[in-house]
Amino acid sequence: MNRLLVWYGELTTAPSLFLRGLLLVLPGMVWLLAFLVLPGLVLLPLSFAERGAFGEVVWTFSWENYRRLLGFGVLGYSPDNLLALLRTLWVALVTTLICLLLAYPIAFFIRSKPRAQRYLWLSLVLIPFWTNIVIRTYAWQLLLAPEMPFARLASALGLLEPGMALFPSTLAVYVGMVSAFLPFMVLPLYSSVERLDESLLEAVRDLYGGPWRVFLHGVLPQTLPGLTVGVILTFVPAMGMFVVPDLLGGAKHLLVGNLIQQAFYTMRDWPYGAALSLVLVLLTLLALRLYRRHGKEVELA
Amino acid sequence: MTRAVALSALALLYLPMLAVALFSLNRTRHGLGWGGFTWEWYLRLLQNEAVLEATRNTFLLALLSTLLATLLGTLLALGLERHPFGRRFRGFLETLLYLPVVTPDLILAAALVVAFGFLRQAFSLFEPGLPAMVVGHVTFQVAFVALVVMSRLQGLPRELDEAARDLYATYPVYLRRVLLPLLTPGIVAGAMLAFTLSLDDFVISFFTAGPTSQTLPLLIYASARRGVTPEIHAVSTLIFLLTVLAVLGGERLTRRSV
Amino acid sequence: MRILAMLVVFLALGLAQKELRLFIWSEYIDPAILEAFTKQYGHKVRVDLYESNEEMIAKLQAGGVSQYDLIFPSDFYVPSLIQLRLVQPLDHAKIPNLKNLDDKFKNPPFDPGNRYSAAYQWGTTGIVYRKDRVAKPESWGVLFQEPKAPFVLMDSSREMLGNALKYLGYSVNTKNPKEVQQAGQLLLQAKRSRYFLGFEGGVGGKNRVVAGAAAYAVVYNGDAMRAADENPGKVDFAIPKEGATLWVDSMMIPARAPNPEAAHRFINFILDPKVGAQLSNYNRYATPNKAALPFVNPADRKNPAIYPSPEAMRRLEFILDLGKDNRIYDEVWTAVKSR
Repeated sequence: MNRLLVWYGELTTAPSLFLRGLLLVLPGMVWLLAFLVLPGLVLLPLSFAERGAFGEVVWTFSWENYRRLLGFGVLGYSPDNLLALLRTLWVALVTTLICLLLAYPIAFFIRSKPRAQRYLWLSLVLIPFWTNIVIRTYAWQLLLAPEMPFARLASALGLLEPGMALFPSTLAVYVGMVSAFLPFMVLPLYSSVERLDESLLEAVRDLYGGPWRVFLHGVLPQTLPGLTVGVILTFVPAMGMFVVPDLLGGAKHLLVGNLIQQAFYTMRDWPYGAALSLVLVLLTLLALRLYRRHGKEVELA
Repeated sequence: MTRAVALSALALLYLPMLAVALFSLNRTRHGLGWGGFTWEWYLRLLQNEAVLEATRNTFLLALLSTLLATLLGTLLALGLERHPFGRRFRGFLETLLYLPVVTPDLILAAALVVAFGFLRQAFSLFEPGLPAMVVGHVTFQVAFVALVVMSRLQGLPRELDEAARDLYATYPVYLRRVLLPLLTPGIVAGAMLAFTLSLDDFVISFFTAGPTSQTLPLLIYASARRGVTPEIHAVSTLIFLLTVLAVLGGERLTRRSV
Repeated sequence: MRILAMLVVFLALGLAQKELRLFIWSEYIDPAILEAFTKQYGHKVRVDLYESNEEMIAKLQAGGVSQYDLIFPSDFYVPSLIQLRLVQPLDHAKIPNLKNLDDKFKNPPFDPGNRYSAAYQWGTTGIVYRKDRVAKPESWGVLFQEPKAPFVLMDSSREMLGNALKYLGYSVNTKNPKEVQQAGQLLLQAKRSRYFLGFEGGVGGKNRVVAGAAAYAVVYNGDAMRAADENPGKVDFAIPKEGATLWVDSMMIPARAPNPEAAHRFINFILDPKVGAQLSNYNRYATPNKAALPFVNPADRKNPAIYPSPEAMRRLEFILDLGKDNRIYDEVWTAVKSR
């Protein structure tokens, strides 16, 4: 039973290996079970409960919250909540895509620097990040105000009525989102790009030629681990974002995050908030599953 | 081309900070008219007890939670990435790790509020305040640290481990002499990420903070809705400059050691 | 020597009064009053701010109930707070100044016999506007019908829907879902305007008008009066002819307040005639304290935007708690905000 085996050059037995692994994993595992899984599981029964007249939780079993989510409110049918869900998916997707398109050039730009300078440039990407998202988002309000150059330029070009700000608008939401999440994409992507095997790239270049093909067959497969982490780190918080649409969307571009925030902050409808939360988690998981399946295919090719 | 895109993307990150810095020196209290240059807001900061306390709380919270999360996360990564667990257990652990990553912070906050509500009846630890905030922050930081370290572990060639194990016999020695030094960039990157996540967090803090553990993000959010005061611009600019200094200092240190 | 020093420290700690923690609307208390209170009773005062009733209650429910000593909810949320057991009864023996309250506020319908609450300030909502850019808004129509300048709405469901209901000629407390829905439609229409800048709670709207980003904002009257004083010739306040909502904010003590003793002292302190007047002279809200009235600025007492005339009062309406029917407003407000 205690057969010897070689694991990463180590001569050991399966049980002792398992035991050591378990010991390493245990603290983190218990922590996540206690403070993430269990609390999360409470959301499930909560989503079937109802809000009492005074905003308290009434523990019953009803599908009311989910019906409401689908649009069947006490005031007749309206697909607002469903639209918000779709909008959330779309905004998160576009944000991730833009971040990706910007992150590759940044990662390669940093790589092109002498080794001693790279840390500095990478830090440069991280620094704005140390300033809280709320203030950075507010800062965009400053930048997009009517008195500032951007709005002046837009009104000089006839795109904007003089004296109006560039926010609230869809454009402002995307600008805010991208500048909020870009470092999340750059950091993991760079860690992959840095280790890129140059000789392999050259081989691909000889084989295929064009820069697009080099990227597709040389860069992409090699940077996939970092890319995956980057996409997850960007897409997921983008799905749950509410500060940016709150401050730059002017209550016109609501995402599910805003709805959840409202359910907990202003409606005090915890059961409905729980239902919305679960649907958001489900949606996020679904999107990631699709991505991962697709990701695997790229890896094989 | 790459250079142009990279530099303009960086500009996108820095423009907002530039604007904040500019307006922190503006005499006008409300609005965007330029009322002349002043240091007044910075001087006022020194007397603003709320801002000073929030600054202290913010960094204390980030430091404590990052330390704890880095430890737990690195152990998780080592255990998961370098040990042959059964398919099921491994899948379970991976799901567990991805859960906080695929859970938007708002939902974690909501779940924590409900859970802390129950736990509070047994342990005073979960009353709103710094301990509860640390618990909340570590919960979302752990997975990020673990993922970054794991991605680094995956990048290490297997031959390296094997060669190392031929040289060093026991696991602790191997861990200390080979794996951890190799992993240090990953661990540092993970810790940095965790630290920024903590500094950046608003939602979880909002749901778990008490009146004596206000952090800067909470203060800033409240002010943003009230109409941001120039003092807030000033404190943001200061944090920003402090960060730049810290990073430059860090870079200097690493260069010297090389 | 060291033992002596420790003894001194212990004595100091024992003698120092526990701090008093207020959870209050922003810009709602004169810092001088807090200093005077600390001087008189030795309690250090810690102030935490909120911008809406909903935010305050949500925070109490998330554990704040054991963290704060005093809260300042609006009248229509008092029954909810009592029902949810988030507040504790007042000990009237510790608040002799309760007798100073005007009869109207002594036995309010939302809290018979002042069992849980003592009135703090009362006021109305209305429109703060840029005098230098737009004309005085005579009607809510400047926001709800074809707006022509940037504006901010108030992030408070009952107050915003209430004013829309007023514009439509309905009661702010209607339980008819159709009427509330109609008000919701009106807000949605306003929201679709390209001049709509968003919903802001508390003093947010006022500050956007002062900053010049917005020409109109729906705000509470006292905040607007202060802004008008600080920016003469630029900012002014008006209550539209259709009328508006009325509110009373009360002082209440959370159920598990750490320092209810100091909270009672503070309530009594605020209800002192001179302190009450000082508060109103700072806040520019009306005082519910009858004994304080003689000490209030004469100019403010004559100001119809602070103390509306009996004729104007007929157009103003207190928001009431509607029990089960609160849900109608919640639903419509959700629809307004999420569309």
